[in-house]
Amino acid sequence: MAAAPAPPADRAALRPLAWACAAFAGGVLLNCDRVPAWTAATALLLIAWRLTTERAGARLPGTVARALLALAVVAGVLWRFHTLNGLAAGTALLMLMSALKLLETRARRDQLVMVGAGLFLLLSACLDRQSLARVPLYALQAWLCCSALAVVASAGFGARAALRLAGRALLLALPLAVALFLFFPRLAGAFWAIQRAGEAQTGLSDTMSPGSIVKLVADYDPAFRVQFAARAPPAEELYWRGPVLHDFDGRTWRRTSGVFHLRQRLQYLGTPYRYRVALEPTRQRWWFALDTPAQSPDTNVLLTYDNQLLGAEPLTEPVSFDVLSYTRTRALEPLGAFGRQQDTTLPPGANPRSLELAQTLRQRAGSDADFVQATLDYLRTGGFVYTLTPQALGADAVDDFLFDTRAGFCGHYASAFVTLMRAASVPARVVTGYLGGEWNPIGGYFVVRQSDAHAWAEVWLQGRGWTRIDPTAVVAPERLRRGVFDLLPDALATRVRLLRGSAWLTGLLQRWDAANAWWSDHVVKFDYSAQLDLLGRFGIRSPDVRYLGWAFVLALLGWLALIAWHVGRSARPAPPDALARAYTRLCHKLGRIGPPRAPHQGPLSFAATVTTHRPDLKDSVYALATGLQRPSAGRRTSRSSGGRLHGWRCPAPSGG
Amino acid sequence: MNAVSAADPDAATLGTVLGALETVILGKPDQIRLCLACLLARGHLLIEDVPGVGKTTLAHALAHVLGLAWQRVQFTSDLLPADIIGVSIFDRASQRFNFRQGPIFTQLLLADEVNRASPRTQSALLEAMEERQVSADGTTYPLPEPFFVVATQNPHEQLGTYALPESQLDRFLMRVTLGYPDAAHERELLRGGERRELLSRMAPALSAAAVLRVQRAARAVHVADALLDYTQALIARTRERSDLKIGLSPRAGQGLLRAAQAWAYLAGRPAVLPEDVQAVLPAVVAHRLERRDPTGGGDGEALAREIIRAVPVPP
Repeated sequence: MAAAPAPPADRAALRPLAWACAAFAGGVLLNCDRVPAWTAATALLLIAWRLTTERAGARLPGTVARALLALAVVAGVLWRFHTLNGLAAGTALLMLMSALKLLETRARRDQLVMVGAGLFLLLSACLDRQSLARVPLYALQAWLCCSALAVVASAGFGARAALRLAGRALLLALPLAVALFLFFPRLAGAFWAIQRAGEAQTGLSDTMSPGSIVKLVADYDPAFRVQFAARAPPAEELYWRGPVLHDFDGRTWRRTSGVFHLRQRLQYLGTPYRYRVALEPTRQRWWFALDTPAQSPDTNVLLTYDNQLLGAEPLTEPVSFDVLSYTRTRALEPLGAFGRQQDTTLPPGANPRSLELAQTLRQRAGSDADFVQATLDYLRTGGFVYTLTPQALGADAVDDFLFDTRAGFCGHYASAFVTLMRAASVPARVVTGYLGGEWNPIGGYFVVRQSDAHAWAEVWLQGRGWTRIDPTAVVAPERLRRGVFDLLPDALATRVRLLRGSAWLTGLLQRWDAANAWWSDHVVKFDYSAQLDLLGRFGIRSPDVRYLGWAFVLALLGWLALIAWHVGRSARPAPPDALARAYTRLCHKLGRIGPPRAPHQGPLSFAATVTTHRPDLKDSVYALATGLQRPSAGRRTSRSSGGRLHGWRCPAPSGG
Repeated sequence: MNAVSAADPDAATLGTVLGALETVILGKPDQIRLCLACLLARGHLLIEDVPGVGKTTLAHALAHVLGLAWQRVQFTSDLLPADIIGVSIFDRASQRFNFRQGPIFTQLLLADEVNRASPRTQSALLEAMEERQVSADGTTYPLPEPFFVVATQNPHEQLGTYALPESQLDRFLMRVTLGYPDAAHERELLRGGERRELLSRMAPALSAAAVLRVQRAARAVHVADALLDYTQALIARTRERSDLKIGLSPRAGQGLLRAAQAWAYLAGRPAVLPEDVQAVLPAVVAHRLERRDPTGGGDGEALAREIIRAVPVPP
């Protein structure tokens, strides 16, 4: 069954459809990097096809064709995502099905559906990405959709008029949106925490193999931002602890799963550092903190035996937390047997030459501490080179690195160093995380980027406990001082060098980053507790959702009342001028003589009414009424006549 | 109230006109004034009343006193459009059609008992009223200036009449009802002679050119914004009321204002007062408004008074 052919459309008739298509296309473009490329491409193609069809007046496909297409689309999404659930699959499905809706878009109602799809896609994009950079895009899309609504509702709207109307409406709605944002009760539960399965994670992972860190080096995105309460530690102390890795299979370091030790009692030395970390979502469980945090910042976060902060759930939203950290500690308890065994185990049979080197060095050294120093000396003097483009390593990766290639980056050095330590039965572990951070003078914080990813080692020394050793530092001390960028190979560094090339650009970037930090801190992370904070500032201290609800309702009513007042005011006539006020007063005076002026009475008929009660006043009252030709007549009367009205006094009745 | 501005010689003459008309139609000064205002406002007039109260006399008197050429057509059911507009007659001598103008080519047309003519004839007349021109055989003939139609109809006659539909009624600026004279004036009528004889002894007070001048002067009477607000409020009121079939048309609104201007001009005022609007409102709107429920309440004039009472005059 084929649908009836649409008559060829002229430009004016095409406009509502074109606007609806534009609103939908805007939604597609907002989401095009979150769905498979073919999804967005299909949607955009269908939009183009539909507009061409409308112009040519060609037939739309029939019911059977549309049903088959819909089935194909569902199958395609299922094939790609293995589910129709979840944000990504849902967005893709919405995009494709709305695009198919275009095939049966004839009436105004269908065009409204298309605009609605554009708004839904906007919502879906908002759920996933909330960065400041996307805010203008979202605002533009909202504007486009509202303008399209205007055009679809009434084709008489020109583009300019529709844009103006929609812009005005959105601006009018803005205070309401702010009130909703601030006062709408936010439930502490994770209503918005939509499962984002199967999406690429950024940042560090819980394994480290050759090359895993170097991938991050070119990633200039911020990992987190840190604001110290007081003095910041020196740059060489800025070791941000991430996953601590214990298991080594000769090639890859892993985190031991299912192991739970009690945390050792520690004596904290040196300066305590209080700071606040604003962490970008990592889609991983760990939170980053400076070297050794003293306690967990959150009840949902565990401070593990190896001083990691481990959240209960993968981090899908930005989070801020306050921590107290020390960069120097001393263990008050000996290392347990299990812990010693875990951190001295090496893959059997692997890296024989390294084991031999370690034993030689250990025999020469008097103590573990001396052995550590000797190993570092070996790395410093052994002709090792820091490079981000090392050669590939063989099966005995540590042997190949230590004796053949002698070139690598932090991961190689940490891995080799820990292997050597373990070979001499010194407990050691690999710590991954970030090193350093860029000071942002505008925001007053450090921004730690993915490119600051680093790996170092910790060894257990008798009497001191776990001690941080960074073998990379002895090979490439400039890595600590200047960051990784000067060491980057050209292929990776071009963009970053460009960005950091001029002081002006750097300043601009810092400003932008500070704005982003503010946005993330105050808008994206505005949650239940932040809401309570805000209400607390207004003196509302009760943590009761009902009060929030009432505040929200009041704000809503207040805003609606304001709009109603505004509308009412613009409909009201202009305020009375001086003459009209004088006339009103005269009417009051005359109204005391006889009956007051009826609303429908003009000056002459009122004068007649007055005269029936006080015939003696006839002349003066008529003189006022007719001589003035006011009110409601010409505004040509002078100020003096207003004064005459104003100054009129009712004389006493004659003869009585 | 009777004063007409002395500064304007034409306006002064209007006082004479009014006086002359009042000697012919006894005891109806308000209706006479309304009729004159209607003509000054370039509007057509519908006089509705029972036979014998002086409708035709009034029309005749108006034409005579204003010094206009006038024609009278008695409408009947077999009257054809050509009987009003004119016909093209073949002239053998010149071998061509000559258009012979009908009675409509005059300055004041008295259309007696307009509701007795067929709708076709009515519409020919009413079209000419609106356009102020006549089309016959593809040629357009402008009507003389000024051009008034004074139509009369008998509301009580039902058999063989075609009531004017709303759209046609809308073209009449005013509908005036004369009514019976009061006892004193009736006695005077009975005592006195034929009123139309009085007319023949009267000299025309104005001329066609003077009427045009007076029309322009009336159009120039000042209308304040506040009065426009008031007029709009009155019109809006008729559209808001749910018990009315239709509200006032924009044409009715224009006419209302023009009539109020003419009324103010007749009263010698340089600007329109709310009272002027109120004075002409019943005559202007009564024939345009109709209740949904024909049994509910009074006639159109009662409605107009209700509307006046409902809309406050802005201070």
